Amino acid sequence: MKEHFRQSRLLAVLALLLAALALTAVGCGGDDDDDDAAGDDTTAVDTSGGEPTDTGPINVAIMTDCEGAFGFGYELDIGGAQAALVEYAGATANNPETPSDGIEGASVAGRDIEIVGYGCGDDTADTALVETRRLMEELDADIMIGPLSGDEAVAVANYAVDNPDKWFIIGTAGSQDPTLQIAPENVFRYHGDGAQWNAGLGEIVYKKLGWRTAAIIMDDYSFGWTSGAGIIADFCGVGGEITSRVFPPLGTTDYSSYVQQLPPPDEVDGYFWVVGGTGTGAALQAFEQQYGQLNAEQHSGNLFLAFLGNFEAVAPRLVGAYFGGFGTGPGLQTEQALAYEEIMNGVYPELPAADGFVYNYYNAAWAMVQGLEASGGDLATLGENMPRELMSGYEVTDSDDNVVTSGGIVVLDDNRQAIQDQYPLQIVEGDDGNPTTVVVGMVPNVDQTFGGLFTPESPPPGREQPACEDVDLPWENNIRVVENGEVTEELIEE
Amino acid sequence: MMTPAAKQAAERAIAGAALLIVALGPLIFSDYWVSFILTQTFLLGIAAASLIFLSAYGGMISLAQTALLGVAGFTLGNLVTDTSSKGLNLGWDPWLSVVLAILITVAVGLVFGALASRSTGIYFLMITLTLGVLVYYFFGQVTEVSGFSGISGIARRAPGLVGGGSDPDRLYYTALILAILVYVLIRFVLRTPFGYALQGVRDDPVRMASLGYNVTLHRTLAFGLGAFFASLSGVLYVWWNGQIDPASINLQNTVDLLIIAVIGGLARVEGAWLGAFAFVAINNYVRDVSVPILGGSFNTVIGFIFLAIVLVSPDGLMGIWDRLTTGRRRPAFGATVEPAAATSGGAARGTSGQVGGHGTKEPPREGGGK
Repeated sequence: MKEHFRQSRLLAVLALLLAALALTAVGCGGDDDDDDAAGDDTTAVDTSGGEPTDTGPINVAIMTDCEGAFGFGYELDIGGAQAALVEYAGATANNPETPSDGIEGASVAGRDIEIVGYGCGDDTADTALVETRRLMEELDADIMIGPLSGDEAVAVANYAVDNPDKWFIIGTAGSQDPTLQIAPENVFRYHGDGAQWNAGLGEIVYKKLGWRTAAIIMDDYSFGWTSGAGIIADFCGVGGEITSRVFPPLGTTDYSSYVQQLPPPDEVDGYFWVVGGTGTGAALQAFEQQYGQLNAEQHSGNLFLAFLGNFEAVAPRLVGAYFGGFGTGPGLQTEQALAYEEIMNGVYPELPAADGFVYNYYNAAWAMVQGLEASGGDLATLGENMPRELMSGYEVTDSDDNVVTSGGIVVLDDNRQAIQDQYPLQIVEGDDGNPTTVVVGMVPNVDQTFGGLFTPESPPPGREQPACEDVDLPWENNIRVVENGEVTEELIEE
Repeated sequence: MMTPAAKQAAERAIAGAALLIVALGPLIFSDYWVSFILTQTFLLGIAAASLIFLSAYGGMISLAQTALLGVAGFTLGNLVTDTSSKGLNLGWDPWLSVVLAILITVAVGLVFGALASRSTGIYFLMITLTLGVLVYYFFGQVTEVSGFSGISGIARRAPGLVGGGSDPDRLYYTALILAILVYVLIRFVLRTPFGYALQGVRDDPVRMASLGYNVTLHRTLAFGLGAFFASLSGVLYVWWNGQIDPASINLQNTVDLLIIAVIGGLARVEGAWLGAFAFVAINNYVRDVSVPILGGSFNTVIGFIFLAIVLVSPDGLMGIWDRLTTGRRRPAFGATVEPAAATSGGAARGTSGQVGGHGTKEPPREGGGK
């Protein structure tokens, strides 16, 4: 009897397992035309060109990270993208506090917009590919807004090459390859890459702090190299010299051995820190243990100085230090910036509008809405109808000149990559006595090629790329001073 | 409870039906299932089969199989691509590159085997884990051959015959055929004198050594054969995924392969593909599940499912089947998993709690011993 009961239990377990697997197979198998993850007739769009033959919903996926170094950006990214759909596509947020609870009622050009899924990456290309395939092939998304980080964007751009009937608007990614070396025609990016974000920083430390020689420590992967490339190109472009490059592996937590590879403080004028995630704080603390308290005028870096716990960890000793931006101008007082922040605050009041993740995903979704409106909802002609100019919140110039206005435009280059104003930052003491950050400069119309230094044929950023050369950058000697959120006519001078 | 003959007949009927279904896969399943779920199942199953082969028949639980998969993938990527922004970009002939990738992986596997095969138990586990981590950092830090960003665009350089990213059905059938070949080859090898000797080494290396067998050599050669299987999986992986980077062979993926083998059943090679299917399907479809009480993380849910499988059946999904058909009781945790060999022909002494193969003194059962 006992034996019989045990076997029955085993049979029940096996049957349940098989039933679950079979249900999974049935639910997701079968002919593609019946496989509609959104629960609607969304897939009968004629993508062969001509007039749209379907008025059913357009499937949109938002790909971001929910794990890994940028997992904190999950709600920020979704919120940014969905806020644009609320503002420009008539959607309603289901929960103002939790963007991932979704939206309802979005439509453009007479076609409903369905968010079919949110991708959950972990900062690795492999997971990004798995999630992208799930979103595009299983959930049958037509357009993907995302992914989040550099290597993910490289993988997605390669995926886009093999899937030319799908559309990809990069959410936030700093790698250069997706829109320079790979550059498929169905991939768009309405923000700068990691190098662009750092434009102007080298010139500022050269002129304001008198740096002539510097060492750089950067993560040993594509984003670290690209971010570092922007600093190197800019600093060397105005006559500075990079005397040492150090490359800690991705995921390093103990930086002491890498700090020892750097020249001591009396041999260089300063250091550029380009170590990601929580690495900047740990790396600077390792430097302090080696050489004593930080001298703020000797340290600079990329956007990670203000990320995660880094700021709290080292900012009190770095008041006065300059660092690279994120394509946003926090505190900018232009009409366009204030209007954008009002929209974000109205939809998701708890999200920081000036955060680069929020801003970039917002712009990507807004561009998508404009593209769909222009194409009349026809996915086949979306590519040619995607906007080549976008009046995003923090722009103050356009591509033709560097005239400062109350609102400018992001312009796409021939590879569908943004030419964008950039905003270097400085750590200062706030009114409450605690360190905070302010925008100190506006670098106009930064393009991905750095005036021709980076090309599809040139080696992509790497350990030794670019070389430290005195090149003429388009924005050299043309960085505007920003004071109290106002872009002035004054230029950054020595 | 079935008689051995009835069980064998039932298994053959199930295997035949399964083969028929997967042979008609593109006609039955959606494109996503063909190109993603099933193709991934076949290639991960091959990698898991390499682990189960070493574990069940060599008494060696290797944590280097994922790394060997990576060696093949990175080698192929370096040799075959000509437009990737990383790696050597040699742009060689796709077939020549495949052959070289497999040969290099087998050579690396033999070196790994030679290094690890003198140890047993937890020491073998740790050495192979170390080798796996070494491979991870090699491809991460030697930027000439990869770097942490990896090599991309490999699928576009796949031979036309196998399709790569451009023709998922061809790649599906390529993976299916290779999975069948690997299974048949493992079954064949186990019936050769080498296979019998290997199982003897697994069961009692001291006795085998005293009989004049070179225990280390047998283990090393088995490791080389496991590397061959892993290399096939690696080649399929980069054709399927299009790119490979060190994160593809990191510690998590190393553990994932072990999980596949365990939930499939470490005692029988068939479990490799069953475990791979369960792993891929669960990972894919539980991602949308959010259970607030578990913190809302789908990974927690996935972990609980795998835990439940192992709790119900420490010898995996194949163990459930074996107990249903033979009436055996569930083995206690840590106990040696008895082989279900008599009818399956896949005689294997599982190694739960017997890492390294020590502790049992029974003669090998595969085919009745040498």
